[in-house]
Amino acid sequence: MTNSMTNIDFVTSLVEGQYPVNKKEVIDQYQMSFEVNKEDIHSILTSLKAEGWIQMSYLSAIDWIDENEFELVYIVFNWEKPVYVQIRTRLDRDNPTINTIMPIYPGSKYYEREAFEYFGIRFPGNPDFEKPLILEDWDDMPPLRKDFDPRAYSDAHFSKREYTETYVVTNGEESKQEKRNERKKRMLNFGKGGKK
Amino acid sequence: MESTKFSPITKLSKEEVDRKWWEIGDFFRRNSLWMLMYCTGCCAIELPPAMTSAYDMERLGMGPMATPRQADVLLVTGYLSLKTLRRLIYTYEQMSEPKYIVGFGSCTINGGIYHDSHVVINQLDQYIPVDSYVAGCMPNTEAVMNGFIDLMELIKNKKADGWKRYRDNYEWYKKNQIDSLGEVRTHDEFHD
Repeated sequence: MTNSMTNIDFVTSLVEGQYPVNKKEVIDQYQMSFEVNKEDIHSILTSLKAEGWIQMSYLSAIDWIDENEFELVYIVFNWEKPVYVQIRTRLDRDNPTINTIMPIYPGSKYYEREAFEYFGIRFPGNPDFEKPLILEDWDDMPPLRKDFDPRAYSDAHFSKREYTETYVVTNGEESKQEKRNERKKRMLNFGKGGKK
Repeated sequence: MESTKFSPITKLSKEEVDRKWWEIGDFFRRNSLWMLMYCTGCCAIELPPAMTSAYDMERLGMGPMATPRQADVLLVTGYLSLKTLRRLIYTYEQMSEPKYIVGFGSCTINGGIYHDSHVVINQLDQYIPVDSYVAGCMPNTEAVMNGFIDLMELIKNKKADGWKRYRDNYEWYKKNQIDSLGEVRTHDEFHD
C-alpha cells in the first residue's frame, strides 16, 4: 500500500482486482460494501482476513421477497485500517443454502444460527446451525421472513384485551383536549413568526 | 384471681385473631416493601430516578432486594416476550407469600406498541395476577411513585390479593400459560 492510497482504495483494489463485483458502494470513508457472487464469499473473506480484517462484526440477512431472494451481509472490520467492509450476496429464496464461514471466522457460529432461526437460511458445515438460539419452542415459519404475518400469529396465540367502551378519565377535571386543539390551530396560523 | 390491670380478654374466634394479625402484618409489610425488579423493558429507566435522590423511594420504605425469595413486590417493567415470561413465572413462583406484582407501562396492559409482535404477550394478567398497573408509555416517574402508593393503599384495604387469586385459580392461570407458552419450564442449551 502506497501512502497516497486511502483505506477505501486499498479494499477496492483488493476485492475488485481478484473477484467479480456486481455492485460497489462507498458509504463514507469508514464503510463500504460489495455485492459479489455466492461462490466467491469464502475466498473474499479469507483474503480480507489475511489483510487484517480479523473481526467478524455481524452477519445479517435481508428478505427481498419480490425478487425471491435473500441477501446475506457479512460485515468485517480491521483495527489497523479502520474500514467496515460489507460483503453482500444473494441467495435463492426457495432453497437458501450457503456453506458456513466458521473455518474463517469461528464466531460466525451464532450469527448463522440466528440467521437460520429467523430466515431459514441453511449453513452446511456449521455443526449446530439448526439448534434454536433465541426463540424457544418456535412452531411456525421463520418469523422475519416477509411472508410471515406477525399479527395473525399474535392474534392466534396471545389473548387480547377487549375494551367495551372508550372513555377518558379526567379525575373530575374538564377535558383539556379542546383547548389543546385550539392551541395547535393557533400555532399553525403563526406561520414562521418571530424575528427573521 | 383475675388481674385488675388488664381488661379481660374477650374470646375471639380464630378468624378474627387471624384477621388482626394479618392487619398488623400488612401494616409492617406495606411500610417496608422489598422490590424485585424484572427490568426487561424500557420502563425500567424510570426506576433509577424513582430510587435515587430525585424521588427517593426509600422514604416510602421501599428498597431493592436481590433474590425473589426475600422480595415482596415484583416489578414487571415493560414488555414481556415468551422467553422472559417463562423466567418471570419461574421467578414469581419462587417468591414467598404474600407477594404483589406491579405492571409498568402499556405493554403489560394491552401489549402497547408491540401488540402485533410474534413474541410479545399482550395481557400480563392472563398469566400471573397483577395487583396494580402503572399506565403510560413509558410512565412518568410521578406516576410510578403514585403506583407504589396505590399498591400500599391496596394492601391496606386488603385488595392486593393477587397471590391468593393465583393460588385459588392456579389451573386457570396454568392453562393460559400453557396455551401461549407451550411449556412453562425454562430450558436452554446453557443450563440443560
